[in-house]
Amino acid sequence: MVDRPLETELVERARRGDLHAWETIVRTHQGIAFRTAYVMAGNAADAEEAAQDGFVKAYRALGRFRRGAPFRPWLLRIVANEARNRRRSAARRERLSLRAAAEARPGDAVPSPEAALLSRESQGQLLAAVERLSDDHRDAIACRYLLDLSEDETAAALGIRRGTVKSRVSRALERLREELEGEL
Amino acid sequence: MTSLEIRLRALGHELDLPPDPPDLATRVLAELQGRRPFPWRRAAVLALAVLAIAVAAAFAVPQARTAILRFFHLGGANVIRVDTLPPARERSLTHGFGKPLPQAGAERLLGFRMALPPVHGHPPARVYVIGNSIGTVALRRHGRPVLLSEFKSFGAQSLKKLMTAATTVEPVTVNGGAGLWIKGAPHTLTYFDRSFGFQERPVLIRGNVLLWVRGPLTLRLEGDLDRAAAIELARTVH
Repeated sequence: MVDRPLETELVERARRGDLHAWETIVRTHQGIAFRTAYVMAGNAADAEEAAQDGFVKAYRALGRFRRGAPFRPWLLRIVANEARNRRRSAARRERLSLRAAAEARPGDAVPSPEAALLSRESQGQLLAAVERLSDDHRDAIACRYLLDLSEDETAAALGIRRGTVKSRVSRALERLREELEGEL
Repeated sequence: MTSLEIRLRALGHELDLPPDPPDLATRVLAELQGRRPFPWRRAAVLALAVLAIAVAAAFAVPQARTAILRFFHLGGANVIRVDTLPPARERSLTHGFGKPLPQAGAERLLGFRMALPPVHGHPPARVYVIGNSIGTVALRRHGRPVLLSEFKSFGAQSLKKLMTAATTVEPVTVNGGAGLWIKGAPHTLTYFDRSFGFQERPVLIRGNVLLWVRGPLTLRLEGDLDRAAAIELARTVH
């Protein structure tokens, strides 16, 4: 992670043609760019291509980047657009799934096997409910919560206004509550 | 924040996301550093590169100082006609495809989703992966085993077939895209390994082969199928 002033300087250098500065930017943001593309495109191969093409297109579009604006939302908008284009042309999108086994982090309390199983089943039901949402609602929930993007970043990634993010998230949460009524 | 929102945030940490692509920065820089020539120049450079690769490929195989008679390029595969085949070990239809993995694990390793024919709700029991590059599933058609292999192109040399004049190569169309139907005498196959580079251990193939391209993937069907049956099966692979 680079701090904001350093990132601004790197963007300026890249704008002047400094590819080493752009390399630092790519290394800083490639994780979130790839994960965003994966959630949008639905498979690793398309996500990889979308992230790579997104970084190339963003570099070539640096002249249109507004100085002083937050950089990450601008970048994610380009990458997400690439990923969405691939999703449109793909026959189907893979569903998201849970990791094979929960990995305990240092310092975590160890739950009982029964509690762990119940928690896993419950999260599996939640993920299935998210996947049953309409594409618009599912993408809003995925960006805002699963990827932990800010409202501005979600708006940029989805190509919609911030107010539309709020309303889509609100309606999607309502829908999820209805779906999971009794289970929550 | 509501309990539902907390659970959704936690869900984000429990997702089975693939690892970040390796060295994305290097690939981005390589693409940016490569000047994009005019289309005619690019095409000429590409044609020369394919020719150079084909020549190098044929002479790279030990004891195969062969004369190149003709070559075809399709997706990530090069099909090269030579006057003599190099020594090669024979592979059966049931051995030598790499490590068997569940479909999801294999796709993570390969970095792409396998395109498959309808399997009536059941995923293939195993996907065999060679060199983290080529995924193969064994199918049965009319009681006979048929292999479906898929790989993403890593350049014009991802997979190479050498064959003699006794093997026929015929252009075909599969789902509106280009394909090649390879029939007749045995031919050899070598491939590019994402981890270890080009493998110089050609294997001998005796079955007929259909090669075709689907998006970024090159696919091949191998087995005791005639041309019509192979194309019919290929059309169902999505």
